[in-house]
Amino acid sequence: MSIRINLDVMMARRHIAAGELAERIGITPANLSILKNNKAKAVRFSTLAALCRELGCQPGDLLEYRPDEEETP
Amino acid sequence: MRLSNEQSIRLSKVCVWLFMILLAALDLGCYWAVDWFIGTRPVLLGFGLREGLLMMSTIYLGSAPAWVLLINLHRLLGALAAGQVFVPANVARLRRVSWCCTAACLLCLISAFYYLPWLLVAVAAGFMALIVRIVKNCFAQAAAMKDELDFTI
Repeated sequence: MSIRINLDVMMARRHIAAGELAERIGITPANLSILKNNKAKAVRFSTLAALCRELGCQPGDLLEYRPDEEETP
Repeated sequence: MRLSNEQSIRLSKVCVWLFMILLAALDLGCYWAVDWFIGTRPVLLGFGLREGLLMMSTIYLGSAPAWVLLINLHRLLGALAAGQVFVPANVARLRRVSWCCTAACLLCLISAFYYLPWLLVAVAAGFMALIVRIVKNCFAQAAAMKDELDFTI
């Protein structure tokens, strides 16, 4: 997947634990783990908005585009 | 009378078991079944030992895909009862069922050379293979969509 989510970086900056963040944004720790480990295939706007609200950041701080090896010319 | 989902699956399982019992009976009593079949049809009076053996071969060869098909159907129903519907394992089971129907179709086509009515069975088996294949395609698509949905956070 060429879109990566830098959730762990932002969580470390804000000193917030995974369990606490999951509770605050209303998703299960298992789903947060899927997000954190870049295993998710899609992110709902509501989840993204909740993440930005709790981490005090913009979607661009969380999401990053990294071209796959086969995509690079 | 409207059956609940569980009752419907249980009924399907009973039907699969009935077919398994019938198939086992046919495997065990193939000789007598063929003997009776040839004896009761005047059109088959010309049938001798060779044709009888050919008919028994068709039944025994067809028995193998029939067992694979029934076992896969039984496992599919087990998975449905457990709430696992659109999963890759079910897609693989349906694919096997479809191939079993295709194998039966080919076998019956070949058997039609010595007994023409096998052609009807071949057409029915081929049509069944097509239906199961389309259902398999639907399951594969649904499994992919479910996978996508499961990983949408």
